[in-house]
Amino acid sequence: MKNGVATETAATGAILIEHEVGLHARPSVKLTKLAKTFASKIELGLSGNGPWIDAKSIVKVMAFRAAKGSTLHFRAHGGDAHEAVAALVELVRRGFDEGHGGG
Amino acid sequence: MDLGAELRAELVKAVATVIDRHADELTSLDQAIGDGDHGINMKRGFEAVLADVANLSAKPWPDFLKGVGTMLVMKVGGASGPLYGTLFMALGKDLPAEPGRADLVRAFRGAVTAVQARGKSERGQKTMLDVLIPTAEALEAGTADAAAVARAAHAAADATIPVKALRGRASFLGDRSIGHMDPGARSSALMIEAIASVLEKA
Amino acid sequence: MESVGVVIVSHSPKVAEGAADMVRQMVGEEVPLAWTGGNPSGGLGTDVGQIMSAIDRAWSNAGVVVLVDLGGAETNSEMAIEMLPEERRGRVLICNAPVVEGAVVAATEAAGGSSVDLVRQTAEEYSAR
Repeated sequence: MKNGVATETAATGAILIEHEVGLHARPSVKLTKLAKTFASKIELGLSGNGPWIDAKSIVKVMAFRAAKGSTLHFRAHGGDAHEAVAALVELVRRGFDEGHGGG
Repeated sequence: MDLGAELRAELVKAVATVIDRHADELTSLDQAIGDGDHGINMKRGFEAVLADVANLSAKPWPDFLKGVGTMLVMKVGGASGPLYGTLFMALGKDLPAEPGRADLVRAFRGAVTAVQARGKSERGQKTMLDVLIPTAEALEAGTADAAAVARAAHAAADATIPVKALRGRASFLGDRSIGHMDPGARSSALMIEAIASVLEKA
Repeated sequence: MESVGVVIVSHSPKVAEGAADMVRQMVGEEVPLAWTGGNPSGGLGTDVGQIMSAIDRAWSNAGVVVLVDLGGAETNSEMAIEMLPEERRGRVLICNAPVVEGAVVAATEAAGGSSVDLVRQTAEEYSAR
């Protein structure tokens, strides 16, 4: 895991998905719900160069389909960008707070 | 009790009676092409209306019809509850407190259009509309005596027999719906006959 | 902030209840949620009075979205909405979306405090994908 790097009101972070089934339905809901608790614009990608999708869009996150072993990249812009990226990276690190086989 | 209240009570009794008398027949028509509960559902609905007839008929026409429609929606259930409920509620919305024949003809057409919109359905799809629309036309053409209105309604119901169902549960049967009268068309014709004969004497 | 409520209407009570279970497990408790399905005799069907009561149970001043399965569920839901008190009528929207996926997606959007229009739009966006 790389830690979040911030420039002014922007923040980025990346984390390897170790959760058994990857970013499937239930983790997508958790990720989206958490993203929505922040005011910043938050985006999600499979590389540090994008392409980026809106992390607050449940439809886009569900369609994103990141498998176990891929690295999720976050970037955020706004007043709470640091907190947002840190919280999202932490959620993925915790395996979306699920046991094995969820999703 | 004013004259209108008496007439309203008489209409309720006439329709409830004819539905009760034909409940088994409606059920067997529905067993052929639907889920087999049209007779019992309609009977339950009009029994509820009948049980409340004193209260309902004391209200002026618009409120009376709205009350009957609401009760049918709640008590009949299935697909026909909302459709018949819509018919009566729309009639109530369009009729003035003291309606004449012209008001009734116009309001009936409006109510039939409301049923079409509710069911997202057209004439010729083997539904109650195949009776309601020709009845609206007969009334608009000036058909005045109850027997003629009833004849037209029953002929229209009979005409659903060779039709393939395109709406409602019967449409799942495809060609197998051919050869059976639509139960909703039948109950519509029975109700129209009962209503027309009461109104003629009024 | 009050979350938009979600109502699930299926011909089958098992489908409706199962979809509601998925919403509860995947999204959580914060969204007002109610389901209805089946006819009074235990068969498949939907009922206007039951739908009205489900809307009431899931009521939120932010509004309610309704997810429906086949034709009659939609017709009866439209009827139920029209029969609501006038001040509630305009705040209940039917989503043109699959009932299970639509319910989960709508509830996720609702949990973030989105408006009833946005909740419906998100559910419909999922189905149009």
